[in-house]
Amino acid sequence: VTDERSFEELQRELEEIVTRLERGDVAVDEAIALFRRGEELYKTCVERLRGAELRIEELTPPRSAG
Amino acid sequence: VAKVEPILYGDRKVYTVSSFNRGIGSYLGRLPAVWVEGEVTELRRNDAWATVFLTLKDPATGSTLRVTIGRRAFDRLELSLEEGETVHVAGRAELYEQKGELALRASTIERVGLGAHLLALEKLKRRLAAEGLFSPARKRPLPRLPRAVGILTGADAAARGDLVATIGARFPAAKVVVCETRVQGHGAPARLVGALGALAAHPEVDVLVLARGGGSFEDLLPFSDEVVVRAVSSCSVPVVSAVGHEQDTPLCDLAADARAATPTAAGALVVPDLGELVTALEGSRRRLTLAVRVLLERDTARLTRLGERLRVAPRLFLERRRSALDHTGARLQALSPLATLGRGYAIVRAGAEALRDAAAVTPGDRLDIELASGSLGATVDDVRP
Repeated sequence: VTDERSFEELQRELEEIVTRLERGDVAVDEAIALFRRGEELYKTCVERLRGAELRIEELTPPRSAG
Repeated sequence: VAKVEPILYGDRKVYTVSSFNRGIGSYLGRLPAVWVEGEVTELRRNDAWATVFLTLKDPATGSTLRVTIGRRAFDRLELSLEEGETVHVAGRAELYEQKGELALRASTIERVGLGAHLLALEKLKRRLAAEGLFSPARKRPLPRLPRAVGILTGADAAARGDLVATIGARFPAAKVVVCETRVQGHGAPARLVGALGALAAHPEVDVLVLARGGGSFEDLLPFSDEVVVRAVSSCSVPVVSAVGHEQDTPLCDLAADARAATPTAAGALVVPDLGELVTALEGSRRRLTLAVRVLLERDTARLTRLGERLRVAPRLFLERRRSALDHTGARLQALSPLATLGRGYAIVRAGAEALRDAAAVTPGDRLDIELASGSLGATVDDVRP
């Protein structure tokens, strides 16, 4: 999934899908589509967590303020 | 630490002196760090000792309190204290268990002469509090997962290092934006405000940490400066204040959205723990798989039941029809004249017609008599109408 949304938003969507499926009032075709989407979201979230290294950016304090 | 357990003499619980002292010592150890004011007496420092001892005296009542401080920490303060001087000692209550003696274990000692500063600070605090700057209602929740954490720090390698290390350890995918500026001395408040603004303006920074290790009262003053406190309070992103040690409360602590006692604690506040996040995600996935399986199983079971009903339906239909037919057959049977013949009646025909009236025939006519089983041919002898 190439998704520009934040991790939190992706995780929230995953939670919503799980809750809908657990409630059970979903037709089979839709349930399978939701499950696939949920799996994708899970993988995207995990990749985002594992992929990166801590990045450090140095910001020069503004001169005029001194 | 060994447990404090009494010896039992019947119903009586008895503590040894050392276990009593240990119990009291661990109780005292849980008390918070405090500042204590008093006059220095009996200052004893020796190059061969690891600890410096002194006694604080309350000039009003003569009450005394033993104080201990590590020799290196004491030497670093470069106080050259004289007996009788008034000092502020920051520390925690501690029990010397061997002797059962209470002492204040000091982390720092300051010469008092800061009365005017303190007073001004207290006034400022009250004024800003009255404005509502420190109100809990103003405190914003910290983002659960910031795109970047802004760190405002002085040339304080330890605080910065602790903070960055904690963030990296908890959440390796984090990004930090560090702005280093002079945080003490003349001009520090303006520089702090400038750096705060620059960090808050960074497009990814979602939360900001003020990281400043311990320092003397004067060193921490910029963090209580009105412009800094206002800048913290009106900052466009939530601010965590990790300034000074536990016993210090610079005003920026009160204005910040959250306060952390140490840079490490601040790190734990601003980023989530990767392990916990992964556990939560895996929990979601398990529930996802389980939920879809339950749904599919439910639908499969429903389908199976429908299939079974479909298979038995024709048979049921036929059986129902057959039993209806049997019923009709029985009723038909009941009405049949053949059944009447079975009870001994006979049908008499003259030609094709059943005979109902004796007058319809004359002697000598041929009759045909049908019985339940077989039939007879007969001739009329006489007629009695």
